[in-house]
Amino acid sequence: MTVRPFTDHDIHLSLDGELPAEEREEFEAWLDRSPDKKALRDRYADDREKLRLALAGVIDEELPDRLARFGRERPTPPRSWSWRTVAAGIVLFAAGSGLGYLAGAYSPSPTGGGAAQIAARAIEAHVIYSAEKLHVVEVGADQKDHLVGWLSKRVGTTLVAPDFSASGYELVGGRLLPADSRAAAMFIYQDAAGARISLYVARDSGAPDTGFKLREELGACALYWLDGGYGYAVTATNMSGDTLRALAGSAYQQLLAAQRG
Amino acid sequence: MDQKRTAIVAEIPHMRRYARALLRDRDSADDLVQDSLERAFSRLDHWREGDSPRRWLFTIMHHLFIDHIRRDHRRRAAAEVPIEAAHGVATPPAQLERLQSREVLDALHAIAPERRAALVLVALEGFSYAEAANTLGIPTGTLMSRISRGREDLRARLDDATRRRSIRVVET
Repeated sequence: MTVRPFTDHDIHLSLDGELPAEEREEFEAWLDRSPDKKALRDRYADDREKLRLALAGVIDEELPDRLARFGRERPTPPRSWSWRTVAAGIVLFAAGSGLGYLAGAYSPSPTGGGAAQIAARAIEAHVIYSAEKLHVVEVGADQKDHLVGWLSKRVGTTLVAPDFSASGYELVGGRLLPADSRAAAMFIYQDAAGARISLYVARDSGAPDTGFKLREELGACALYWLDGGYGYAVTATNMSGDTLRALAGSAYQQLLAAQRG
Repeated sequence: MDQKRTAIVAEIPHMRRYARALLRDRDSADDLVQDSLERAFSRLDHWREGDSPRRWLFTIMHHLFIDHIRRDHRRRAAAEVPIEAAHGVATPPAQLERLQSREVLDALHAIAPERRAALVLVALEGFSYAEAANTLGIPTGTLMSRISRGREDLRARLDDATRRRSIRVVET
């Protein structure tokens, strides 16, 4: 490959996902050779992350009435992102799915407890990694078997990367993350429009099993549950309660089937 | 028609975030969203099937934002002064996080509006250069120079904020 000289201009291209794929490796090598350029890139990436976090919460704010009315001028109000409606939905899902023990455990603002911690970590990881353009995952979906085997081994339970293709989400890949000096696993999915969701799994021994609970933070929402000493969370941004609930239910069933299988 | 309305309404949270990146004041930001929605609903037939509702709506927002800036220009002759942030030596972690958010938003709103819009569309909303240039109605080269200058400005403003914060700590 011919190496072209890189400049600061390429730092912006790289941050904005506009650097041609075939030049990325050489670009990273150039950064490794130029510590000041690497520091500049990292600094810009850090500023961008601060900006994202500062504005992430706006997405889930309740709409002021003067804006909400645009959605009401039709027969059924479409305010599906209003999380106030999720509570009723979760109970309905639990009752309708045959998973009786999932019933009822809606908590609008969970505080403390191992399960809430799982959700907080899942949201944090989601916000940080789902915003990545270039380095979303460590191991891509093209090595799915290796990815699932590796993460199962590190986390210590039989995992599957649930199939969400019925909802339009395809596996991008996964990551290993630290959680209290132990390993946590994260699978990331993406739909055709580029929207991303993630499944987070971490060991959480000692805490009793829970039903589905909801946590919203940093502009993202997680539906999470504890089961058999492990915590699980499905996290998304700007997704309707119905869709997130369906995805979490599907993940639960696929994980359960794998662990029994 | 109803499908179009649903698609537009589903974009309101994203429109609000973009507006808040453009305009510091929450009410002004929601004014911009409201004006944009009214214009969008009055021109639904201008939206071609298959076009991304977000790009169409953001284009409308951009036109109104430019109008707003021009209207506001004379009134804002004085330089914007960032709100003084910290007021003590010890800042608890939770407040520190809010302080960081406030600093980055202050810095963002201190940079030139056209650089701010370019940077936010690409870095925050994930538009490609081509999409952002199209939305803003400028050539890609202009967009790229606005983004790189915007990033430089943001970095310089954040460095100023950090310096101010440490000076205050030393003085206290």
